[in-house]
This record gives sequence, C-alpha cells and structure tokens, in this order.
Amino acid sequence: MSLQDFWDVLVLGVVLGSLYAVIAIGYTLVYGVLQLLNFAHSEVFMSGGFGGLIILTIVVPAADPSGIQSVGYVLLGIAAGALIGGGVAFGLERVAYRPLRRRGAPRLVFLITAIGASFFIYNLAGKVFGRNAARMPTMYENKTLFTLFGTPINVTQALVVASAVLMLILVDFVVNRTKLGSGIRAVAQDPEVASLMGVNIDRVVSRTFVLGGLMGGVAGFLYGTTTQVWYTMGFLPGITAFAAAVLGGIGNVRGAMLGGLLLGVVEAMTVEIWGDSWRYVGAFAVLVAVLMFRPTGILGERVARTA
Amino acid sequence: MLNRSIVKLAIPVAIGALALTACGSDDGGSDGGGGGGGGGTTYKIAFQGPLSGKNVALGENMQNGIQLAIDEANASGDYDFTLEYVATDDRGEPGQSSAAAQLVIDDSDVIAAIGPAFSGPAEVAAPLYGEAGLLAASSSATNPTLTEQGFPTFLRAVPNDNAQGAGMAQFLAAQDGVEKVIVVDDVSPYGEGLSDVAVESLTELGIEVERASVPADTPDYSGAARNVVQSGADAMIYAGYYEALGPFAVSLESAGFDGIGVSGDGSNDVQFISLAGSASDQWYLTCPCTDATAEAATVDFAERYQTAFNQPPGTYSAESYDVAQMIIGAIAELGADANRESVYQAVATGSYEGLTKTFEFDETGEFTNDAIFIYQVEGDGIEYLGPIEELTGG
Repeated sequence: MSLQDFWDVLVLGVVLGSLYAVIAIGYTLVYGVLQLLNFAHSEVFMSGGFGGLIILTIVVPAADPSGIQSVGYVLLGIAAGALIGGGVAFGLERVAYRPLRRRGAPRLVFLITAIGASFFIYNLAGKVFGRNAARMPTMYENKTLFTLFGTPINVTQALVVASAVLMLILVDFVVNRTKLGSGIRAVAQDPEVASLMGVNIDRVVSRTFVLGGLMGGVAGFLYGTTTQVWYTMGFLPGITAFAAAVLGGIGNVRGAMLGGLLLGVVEAMTVEIWGDSWRYVGAFAVLVAVLMFRPTGILGERVARTA
Repeated sequence: MLNRSIVKLAIPVAIGALALTACGSDDGGSDGGGGGGGGGTTYKIAFQGPLSGKNVALGENMQNGIQLAIDEANASGDYDFTLEYVATDDRGEPGQSSAAAQLVIDDSDVIAAIGPAFSGPAEVAAPLYGEAGLLAASSSATNPTLTEQGFPTFLRAVPNDNAQGAGMAQFLAAQDGVEKVIVVDDVSPYGEGLSDVAVESLTELGIEVERASVPADTPDYSGAARNVVQSGADAMIYAGYYEALGPFAVSLESAGFDGIGVSGDGSNDVQFISLAGSASDQWYLTCPCTDATAEAATVDFAERYQTAFNQPPGTYSAESYDVAQMIIGAIAELGADANRESVYQAVATGSYEGLTKTFEFDETGEFTNDAIFIYQVEGDGIEYLGPIEELTGG
C-alpha cells in the first residue's frame, strides 16, 4: 500500500467510522443509564433513514437542485431523520421498556423485549414501505469539494463527517455540561440515590432514549444518503456500532466515538489489503484482540464517570 | 412473587412481538387462487421464490407470469380441472429455503412446483422436492452446478450461467479497447458460479482478468469501487443482484470508473435504475430471458400481462408463464392419471413449444437451449439489444 493509498483508505474508513460512532452513542447512552442493550436501536437508525427518504421524496423536484436549495434539503433530511429517530426511541422506551422497568423485570427480559421490538419494527417497516430498497432523491451534485493529502473528498463524504463531528460535540456537551447530562450521569452512577436527591428517573431515562434516538435517526439518514434505504438496513451497521461501543468501553460516550472511528478505519484497511469478503473478519479480530487485553473496552468506565 | 408476575407478563409480550414478526413473510401467503374454471379436480401449482426480503422484484415478476397462466387456464374452459396457485416465500435466502419447500411438499394438492427462483435456495430445496417426488422446475436458477448434483425431480427451464458467463465474455471481447476485465461476484452461489464461468471464458478469449468478491450486504461500496478503478480494467462484470449493484454503481461513478459495465440476469430489473439513477446509464445486462414486449411471439402476452397487473412484464415473467403453461399442458394430457410423479415424467421427457423458446431437458434436467440476450440501460429504461450471438457475429 503506497502512502497515497493509505490516505485514500483512511478517508473511507473515517467516513464509515463516523457513522458507526454516531450510532454507537445511542447504544452507549442507554447502556450507561440502564445497563440495557437496546438492540432495537438498529431500527431507530432505519426509521431515521425512512424519515429522510419520505420527506425528501415529497419535496425534492426531479431537476438537479443546487446551492442554497441543496443546503435546505440536507437540513430538512437531517431534521426528519432526527425527528423520526427520536420519536421511535421515545415510543420504544414507553411501550417496550418502561412497563418492565416499573415492575423490576430481570435484565434478560429487557434483552428479549429489545430483540422482539427490533423484529417487530423492521417487519412493520417492510409491510408499510415495501421490501424493495429505495434511493434518496438527488439533493446536490456529488462533486469533489476539496482535496486532503491528495485524496479528493466529495460532498457526501464531507457531509457525513461534518454532521457526525457536530453531533458528537453536541452530545458530549449535553452529557458533561448540562442539567440533563448531570441527571444522566447521576442515574448511571446510582439510580436510587439519584432518585432520593430529587432526580426524576423516568424523565431522565426517556430523554436519554430520545437523545440516542436523535443521533441514530440522523445517522440513518446520512447512511441512506451514502447507499440506499431499505427495511433491514439497520441490522449490520447496528451490530457493528454495538461492537464499536463495546470496543470503546460500553457506557462511555467518548469511548463509543473512538470505537466507531477505529472500527470504521480497521474495516476500510482490511478491505484494501485483503478484499471485501474479509471486511468483518479483520474488524472483529481486532475487536477480540483489544477486548482480550482491555475487557472493559479502550476507555473503559461508564457514563457516570465521564472520560 | 413480584418477579414471577413480571415474567408472566413479559413472556406473552415477547412471544407476541415475535409472532407479529411472522407477518413479514406472509406476503406471498397461500392466497392467490385461480377463480372460476372448469370444476372437477383441483390441482395446485406452487411457486417458490423471493416474495419478501431483498430482490423481491424478481420474485414478483415470476409470480405474476405464473398467476396469469393459471388464471387464463381456468377462464378458458378448455380443461376439466381447476387450477389453484400457491406461493411460498424463501426470501431468496438458502436459510429460508427448506422451510418454504416443506410447506409446498406438505400440501398434497400441489402437483408441481415452479422454482426455487434463486440458485442458493434451489440447492437446498431440490433434494427435498426430490424425496417428495414433486417436480421443481426453476425458470431462473442459473448456477451450472445445480444439474450436476443428480437431484431426482429438478429441472432447469432456463439456459445456465455457463451460457451467460460465456455470453458476457464473448460480448466484451467484441468491444473495442477491452484488454483487461475485472469480474466481481457478490459471494452468493449465483454470483460465484457466474463469476467462475465469466473468468474462464474471458481467459480463453485471451483477455486479462482480475477477480474480486464483494459480499452483497457490504455497508459501504466506496472501497470496492476504488479497487475497481485502481485495477485499471477497461470493463467490469458484476455477478450478483440489482439490490447490491445499485449502490455499487453509484460508488463506481463517484470513484470515476469509466469502463464498460456488464451484469447478468440478477440485475436485469428496472429497480436497478431506480437504485442507481444516472450511475446505471449505459450498463449492459445479459439474460437468458427475452424481452417480452419486444419479441413478436410475446407481444400479445405482454399486453395481457399489462392489463392484469398494470405494469409491463419483467425479467422471467414470460419464461415463468411458459413453464406454468407447460405444466398445465402436461396435467391436461395425463387426464385422470395426473399425479406428482407422472407430471414430472411428462415434463422431463417431453418437449414444449413456449412463447419464448422450446422447452426440452436432457437426462440431468439441464435445459438444452443456450441462447443469451443482451440489454442496455438507456435513461429511465432497459433497452433490448437482442441475442448476443447475432450482435457479436458469433
């Protein structure tokens, strides 16, 4: 691999990794607060993809849009993805998890419900939207925007990375600097004490889901923009992002970002060196190797004690 | 005690959620049916193929063709039996195939099955159909090895990928400036089989070949597209289905690939264009299928299909219609002797003049005709160019 190849592949890895990072945040936040593996997060991601697709199919004209129009369409798609993702996550918490939490159900039951909810949502989406994949309408001309280390970066790549970075900064700020963030951290540390100190646990949990859902929804829209949207699109990126969250240290927000980026880059490098069919072999070998030496993930810890 | 009551509540919730997911695969269901008809005995003709999941458009094309044949037979009043259509959905996945086949086999009214549509599921289901003595005539599973495995009742009613792969190679060799070709498969039994043959045929024709595999569920095609461009190939053959070729073609366009793109019957659907948009333009698509709306013999069929389903026939619609007609003809000829075994024997040893071609099989169940046709994406549609042999003067 020449140095130029290295930069080219690094860019591909960072683009994919930023998406993983944003999805991984959803897993990590919920796990940090509830110790719950929300496998239905893949479907929150998928819903965001459909949210963006539907609204853009309605508003984007057939002719190639440009300039300020394109910016508007992208923002509209992001907003729709966030809204639907947040909404689905909110609904999930209310319908699938809160009743169990109120009754103090064992952890295993939450896990099964999460899997059930995931199956339910994607099959429902298949029924409602059909089984065929669909392409996002053309929001902009996907030309080369600038060159970095000799690697041309196109509009989609720049859009994905910029949105991901903004979202990651935003969520880091929310968790570490806001009142909601203190609540999240307090509940993660010790729900009973937090409750005694006047933290409304239900509200914190619900908002944590919504925060993760907003991120997942936007990631779904961005992913749909890079490839296509279909009813089982959440499965593979969801599993990979979950692995990324574990790699970084599940429950740790910055760990999820790091894990996502790392897994994306390892995947891209694996593809470059050994070919596409080795993609997950390489990525998951790294995952296992890292976890053997650091079973708590690279940054370990949990939301409670922020990195 | 509290915990126990929660478990009591949680279990039905979980089971309910799982049960609801079963709705996902009921699209094809067992509905359909033929309406009116001549009364007497009722025979069921089954179809196994992707009626949900990815690549569902290919399954629906075939389903409609079979449905039309059955509806027409029932309405014609020519037969003293009634036909019923049953469909079983394997989602185009080998893992779903044996359960799907078993549903068909267990229904004792089913006298013949059309399918499985895809090569992977066909490999899994063909032994089961064999044990049950039930004809499984696939109008689209093209992996060459299928007929080499000695499945007792499997017939392939379509030229296999030896013909298609060779056709692709022959076509590219006839184009100007094609010195190196990259062949990419989707790591499915269909894709790998087609890729094997294409690589071999290109090598025989003295063209430099590079081979790569990109799994169909790849989340990101940009790396693969980059490798195609870096290979310096003048043309690329994609051996896989349209659902994956859509985003791949988009990535190829943004990576700056300017060579000739060729794919096979798995990509020959307008869905490819809707997924890839302008990136699909000028791609060549080969198929053992003819264009029902272009060939004189099938124009009339295409009109009836359009009336019935409000869309033009797609890939393998006319071929599936022919296979259904061939089976109906066999049942009629056998009269009171019609059963699973006699129908298989009659079809396997007979010859049927269909709209698209003559259907005849050798002793392994292989189709005896090997004509391959080529299409090209032009704007919003797929244009039929004709038989490869004629175009390349071969």
